[in-house]
Amino acid sequence: MAERVFARKMKKAGFADVWVGAKIPYGIEDAALYPLFTDDLVDVMRRLIAPERQGSVAISVIAKARKP
Amino acid sequence: MAHDLLYQHEVKQAVRSAYEKITTGGGEPVARRIYSPEQLSRVPPGAIEWALGVGNPVPHADLAQGETVLDLGSGGGIDTILAAHEVGPEGRAIGIDLLDEMVERAGANAREAGVDAWTEFRRGEMEEIPLPDESVDVVISNGVINLSPRKSRVLAETHRVLKPGGRLCVADLTVEEDLPPEILTSDSAWAG
Repeated sequence: MAERVFARKMKKAGFADVWVGAKIPYGIEDAALYPLFTDDLVDVMRRLIAPERQGSVAISVIAKARKP
Repeated sequence: MAHDLLYQHEVKQAVRSAYEKITTGGGEPVARRIYSPEQLSRVPPGAIEWALGVGNPVPHADLAQGETVLDLGSGGGIDTILAAHEVGPEGRAIGIDLLDEMVERAGANAREAGVDAWTEFRRGEMEEIPLPDESVDVVISNGVINLSPRKSRVLAETHRVLKPGGRLCVADLTVEEDLPPEILTSDSAWAG
C-alpha cells in the first residue's frame, strides 16, 4: 500500500492530524531476516527486482493519527 | 490492478497459514534492527525470539501512565510488553492476535516480563476487534495492518474502539512502486 493511500484511508475512517514519518528503507536483505519470507521468495525478489531498487523495496514508516 | 491479484479470503488464509507454519520469529537480528538496547533489556528472550515487526511504534505513541493501549496483531507480545511498561500498573495493555498459539506465547512472555497484572492477550481479528466502542486511549500495531485484505475495515474498527481524542500509532510498510506479479501473488510476500 502506498503512503498516500494509507493516509487517505485513515482520513476516510475519520482520523484527523494524520502524520506519516520516521521513514526507513526496507530492502530484500531486511526481508530475508524474517522467516515469513521463504528462501524461494527472497530468491525471486533478488532475480526480478532491479538491483538499484533491492535496498529499498518498501519503506518502513510510522503513521500517527488522532480520533477527533 | 496489482492488489486484485488475490481474493480477500486467499490473502487471509495465506497469512494465517504462514504464521501457523513458522517455528520462530525474526529473533535478535530483527529485534536489534528495530528496538533500542534499553527497550530490549525490558523484554524477555521469548518476546525477542518472536519479534516480527517492521518498526518501533511505542516511542512514537507518547504513552502516559494510566492509559489503556491496544496492540493489534500482538504476536509474541514484544510491543505490548513495551507499551505495558509505559502505561504502568494503573493502565492496561491489551494485545489481540489471530492465532491461539501467539496469544499463549505472548501471555507467557508478559508473565516473565512482570507486566501480566495489567496486560492481557485475546484471540481476535483486527477487522472485528473484540472490544467495546470508545474503550481504549491508544492503538498501536507493528507490521500488521498491511496483512489485512480489508485495511479500511481495520481502520474503521480502530476508530470505533478509540475514545474521543484517542491516538493511533502504527509501524508498517509502504510500497510506492508496483512489484512484479510473481511477488504480488506469493503467499509468502503477503504474509511477510
